[in-house]
Amino acid sequence: MKKANWLFLMIVGVLFVLAACSSDDSAGGKGAESNKDYSELQVAYNAQPPTLDPLMTTAVATRDVARNIYESLVTLDKDSKVVPMLAESVEESEDGKVITFKLRQGVKFHNGDELTAEDVVASMQRWMTTTGLGKTYFADATFEKVDDTTVRLVMPKRLFIALHLLADPSQIAIITTEEANSSSAADGLTEFVGTGPYKFVEWKNDQYIHLGKFNDYVAVDSPANGLSGKKEAHYENIYFNIVTDASTRFAGIQTGEYQVANAIPFDNVAQLETSDTVKTSINHNGFNAVVFNKRAGLFAKKEARQAVNAALDQEAILRAAFSSPEFYELEHNLMIKDQTDWYTDAGRDQYNQKDTNKAKALLKQAGYNGEEIVILSTRDYEDHYNAAVVVQQQLESLGMKVKLDIYDWPTVQQRRTDEKAYDIFITGFPTEPVPNKYVFLDSKGEWAGWTNSPKIDDLLGKIAGAATQEEAKGYYSDLMVEVYDYVPIIKFGNKTTVTAYDTSVEGYDFLQGIILWNLK
Amino acid sequence: MLNFILKRILSLIPVLFVVSVVVFLLVHITPGDPASVMLGPEASPQEVAKLQEELGLNRPILEQYVTWVGDIFKGDLGTSLFMKQPVLTAFLEHLGPTFSLAIMAQLFAIVLAIPLGVLSAKFRGSILDQTFMGISLVGISVPSFLLGLFLILLFGVELRWLPVAGYKPLEAGLDVHIRYLILPAIALGSMQAALIARMTRSSMLDVLSANFIKTARAKGVKEFIITMKHSLRNAFIPILTIIGQTFGTLVAGAAVVETVFNIPGIGQLIINSVERRDFEVIQGVVLLIAVSYVTINLVIDLLYGIVDPRLRVGKR
Repeated sequence: MKKANWLFLMIVGVLFVLAACSSDDSAGGKGAESNKDYSELQVAYNAQPPTLDPLMTTAVATRDVARNIYESLVTLDKDSKVVPMLAESVEESEDGKVITFKLRQGVKFHNGDELTAEDVVASMQRWMTTTGLGKTYFADATFEKVDDTTVRLVMPKRLFIALHLLADPSQIAIITTEEANSSSAADGLTEFVGTGPYKFVEWKNDQYIHLGKFNDYVAVDSPANGLSGKKEAHYENIYFNIVTDASTRFAGIQTGEYQVANAIPFDNVAQLETSDTVKTSINHNGFNAVVFNKRAGLFAKKEARQAVNAALDQEAILRAAFSSPEFYELEHNLMIKDQTDWYTDAGRDQYNQKDTNKAKALLKQAGYNGEEIVILSTRDYEDHYNAAVVVQQQLESLGMKVKLDIYDWPTVQQRRTDEKAYDIFITGFPTEPVPNKYVFLDSKGEWAGWTNSPKIDDLLGKIAGAATQEEAKGYYSDLMVEVYDYVPIIKFGNKTTVTAYDTSVEGYDFLQGIILWNLK
Repeated sequence: MLNFILKRILSLIPVLFVVSVVVFLLVHITPGDPASVMLGPEASPQEVAKLQEELGLNRPILEQYVTWVGDIFKGDLGTSLFMKQPVLTAFLEHLGPTFSLAIMAQLFAIVLAIPLGVLSAKFRGSILDQTFMGISLVGISVPSFLLGLFLILLFGVELRWLPVAGYKPLEAGLDVHIRYLILPAIALGSMQAALIARMTRSSMLDVLSANFIKTARAKGVKEFIITMKHSLRNAFIPILTIIGQTFGTLVAGAAVVETVFNIPGIGQLIINSVERRDFEVIQGVVLLIAVSYVTINLVIDLLYGIVDPRLRVGKR
């Protein structure tokens, strides 16, 4: 056998193997297909939820999957206003202590049973006794059946934010069957039966969660609007593929392996903008912030926290964290502009000051004498890490000695509960429906960083007990002023998340998480 | 012989004891707890403490260890805190993809490396030889994740010949199963291919210069027969050894490739469990892997004893 023959045989062999492996209907190209296939929607999702019972966790992955299965009495529209979902109407008593819900008729659970007042009462009792929200705000409240189609929430005193809390998407007050509630274990529901447009089919750990279209779904007769309105479920099946690696999600959406991919890295978005088969959607996704340890160390002193707030250049931090202005927004307020019921200018003058002289004066006032400041952060979220690096540089330019302590996220979560382990940590917060839900405001929650401000507590109480939205907004405005004086955290600005989807897919929406039920 | 086997089995007890203690301590001393991960970032300290109590995480560490070991003796490796399924079930579910991937990678390595090694040896010093050995050097040097990303870009994104991520079990069809494993197998098997190719080349060179090959040539045996029958067969023992040795490395290296290609194998199970601080899974799976290694070594020791009786009586 001559040299050339050997080589020829080798090359033919390799080509044969490759040719045999490829096929016309291979991985990609769904975006270019003309005949719409509604059999399945493949979603590349970045994390596996710890459970599909939203009452057991505040994890975002649980929220995003569970919202397809379950519904609540009330929900949020795109302006974060509370609107009925399983309730047909909602009526509040004049003293604000009783809220009566008239239930929609003919709504069915995935097991075929019709929604009853008993199911609602059992579900709401479980929500009130299981979740942090329920235990904090509804400990002395009761849910009662009035008649077969009416239930009511009875509270010892007016709670202005009650409906907002019931509509909160993060720990959604799901309505499931009375049996599912009674058979639930300490670690949550054992069966996932809801009234949503998709029903639970299968969960293969670390691979996918499979939801199937619920054919008996009864939609409300109003246009889709945020989390409310008509839900149509065009796709027969949705697969939430657990794809933790960002580059794999990115490649998968380009090849058509997936039709939707969440949490696309900001640096990859420009590449997708030139694509004919993939679109991107940039959506508001809460904010990142510096959280101070207010119980021990330098930042137990208000002046030291104010000094950092005076010094920070928020734009530089946001640019480092999110790479381009299209992915962030300079914003002082805890609530976003879309939340028109709350949004206020109060506190704006204290945001993004970049005033080094003022900062140095405040530091001196706080008695800073060169001790080392520890910033706790993680590389699991690059935006946290990049922000931490810039904050470190900016504080060092004030003459402070600053050390970065970088761990994986679970370690950060644990170390931030140790008052001796750090001075500052960097974290993100989701957009909340009401100010009271921000965990860093309330002193009773003893959340990491340990805010302890009687004034803030008082204002939160006033918001909760307000008679009208106008009154609540007034107190919220005062709260923003107080927040910028006490400085429990320093907000960098609003951040976004990027979802990519196949151009053949229409109807994508986002409100505190991806909305898939109207995709077609 | 029975005495020898018993002695070897008894010697495993301290090894497994040490492994269990080390794994348990490593997992429990590392900061981070599953309760915080499960409850989410906004959970209050009270909620976290309550779940820790429910999961038994705040019991003394010695008590937790004794309970864990006691359960193992009852055949219970524990239940995943996060996945809510027995650790053994989770392990077996994730074993299939890793095993398939490792076999595919090994096959790729052998099929590619042996002909290249043989050709290189045959045409020693030629451009062909230098090219192949240059490629094999690249194969050893390029990390599997980087090669994986490159393969995804070329064969997935650009050419669209092969899927870029995921895993399809055998039940989905052999062709589908294989198609999803081709790119990860190449990424994983390249280093092995390079090692095997280099070993094949050097082993073949030794044999090709042997006297019996010269004799065969003098007798007029065809060159193809000399290469494939007389040389390769004789050169195959060190090649086989390196194939065996690299298989273990392959299983270990699968963790990275599984992450890049989203294959739900053992590597990904361990990585995910570490991120979630799913203590039961980490300690259970690591112990199972340790037991597998120790058992394989035991079997090999026993085989040595059977093959070479001197090893059995060596201590006398």
